[in-house]
Amino acid sequence: MLDLLMNAALNGLLLGGVLALLAFGMNLIFGVVKIIHMAYGQCVMLGLYFVYTLVTHLGLPIILACLLTLPLMGIIGIGLQMFVINPLLRAKANPLTQLLALAGLTIVIENLAQVIWGADLRGINIQLPLISIGNVFLRTSNLIAFFGALLTLWGLYLFLNRTYLGLAIRSIAQDVDSSRLMGINPHAIYYVTMAAGGVLTGVIAAFFSPIYAVHPHFGGSFTMMAFIIVVLGGMGNLLGGFIGAFVIGLVTSLSAALTSTEIADIIALVIFIAVILIRPQGLLGIRVAK
Amino acid sequence: MLIVIFAAIVSFPFFFPSPYLIHIGTLIFIFSFITTAWSYMGRFGLVSLGHGAFLGIGAYTSGLLFNYYGLSPWIGMILGGAVAVLFAMIIGYACFRFGVIGDYFALVTLALGEVVALTIIAFRDITGGSLGFTLKSMGTSLFYLQSEHKIHFYYISLVFLILSLLVWKWIDRSKMQKALRAIGEDEIAASTLGVGIIRYKVIITSISAFTTAVGGVLYAQYITYLNPHTLAGVPPSLEIAFKAILGGMFSLWGPAIGTALIVSLEEYFRVAYGSTFVGFSQIIYGLALVLLIIFLPKGIYGSLQAFVARRKKS
Repeated sequence: MLDLLMNAALNGLLLGGVLALLAFGMNLIFGVVKIIHMAYGQCVMLGLYFVYTLVTHLGLPIILACLLTLPLMGIIGIGLQMFVINPLLRAKANPLTQLLALAGLTIVIENLAQVIWGADLRGINIQLPLISIGNVFLRTSNLIAFFGALLTLWGLYLFLNRTYLGLAIRSIAQDVDSSRLMGINPHAIYYVTMAAGGVLTGVIAAFFSPIYAVHPHFGGSFTMMAFIIVVLGGMGNLLGGFIGAFVIGLVTSLSAALTSTEIADIIALVIFIAVILIRPQGLLGIRVAK
Repeated sequence: MLIVIFAAIVSFPFFFPSPYLIHIGTLIFIFSFITTAWSYMGRFGLVSLGHGAFLGIGAYTSGLLFNYYGLSPWIGMILGGAVAVLFAMIIGYACFRFGVIGDYFALVTLALGEVVALTIIAFRDITGGSLGFTLKSMGTSLFYLQSEHKIHFYYISLVFLILSLLVWKWIDRSKMQKALRAIGEDEIAASTLGVGIIRYKVIITSISAFTTAVGGVLYAQYITYLNPHTLAGVPPSLEIAFKAILGGMFSLWGPAIGTALIVSLEEYFRVAYGSTFVGFSQIIYGLALVLLIIFLPKGIYGSLQAFVARRKKS
């Protein structure tokens, strides 16, 4: 029993690292563009399909396929900004309308995937060894994803805090009008953010590709997971999201080991609802200035 | 005009006694009933993305009681509705008490729909889990709301649809309508004028929940098969909302027209191009939806109405 719990806790921790990366993109987009990206998980799914196609149909090595997926997903992010989000901003749509439009987009993406790749499970078939420490077993792919995610997050932290572009992004997130007075073009920053968010979904897809096989309705659960974490940490609060990811990773992993995966998901969703109702500013409690 | 259309719908099965067309008609009526129920609250700014929860609660309450205890679905319908109302009141009160509105309300309800679906799956010993379960066959028995003749369901669901439209009219004439419209436009202003925000919102949510649950029972009785993925969770919840939004949730006929359009479009593609191309109809539907939400937030019928009104004025 103790072994089981140790296993679950350690794997939950590893899951938390990947979830942190997943939530980061949605959080960044929410903080900067002020849009709830309902189709975020679906973008990750597209990335997984890209990796799959590049590996199995074009015969590229996995690493190269993953690297190629990044710019492809960046282009998709820019496309989203151009064809969906910009018209929404121009129409001065309220947040609810934006949410619905992006939810409508999920139908387009999921069915596009179904028409192109079919409804079956698609995955790159690679076997990575299992590492055992005492009675605790770890999958190498999970370890790679965990350290890769932490590395990416560290890189993003440096980008946001050490570069002028990062400074511009953070200032837009804080106050659009003042940033405009400082000579920052919000629309250019929106494009940069959506492109970065797109590349990020590509990175996630690359780390997920050895772990999961993908199918057209694969993305929804990831959108939900990212939401739960973002709300738990406080929307737009990047540090809160990072901590929230580990909380959710541990909670779902432990409760799945003790009960069943459905119950674990229910617990995560109930946490989400409770946080929105009782503590909408999130765990860290920093209110985003309006 | 209205009478002509009504007469055409009622006499339709006599001129075209094709089971297939009657089946499509029945589906349109049942889903229109549900989307109309959704719009009761949707049109006042309470956009729920979790109506699948009520659909599932209604259908599973009635279906399980029938299969295990032989309870008539007519009673099950009321009980299912009551459970849905209880659920709606608890959640509604919590949301409205804490001032969860707009996109946050949509997110909470989205999560709730998923919670109900997962709960149904988790209790797989009773509910059959992801595989769902089939209702016991009773032949043709109106008491058990089962029939081997599609035509029965055609008329039953038509009656239900008309009832739901009458409820809409009733809401329109009531004091509640004025209060809710004031709340939808400016919540704080309405509350300073002494409008009981929480009370009215909970009432309208309960009416919508009850009607949706009844719709779930109706659908389950017609199909005689219950599955958590078609009756609860995110996809059916979004579908309900989108059908209503596409047609126009602010007008009486909007949800029904949106439903009729989408159901017939889906069927057309299925018949014309086979099941592999079902995805295509969905892509077109999704794209149309995104464009409509951005450029015509009143929906197809609502925008048409506004256009006609403008033409009359000038």
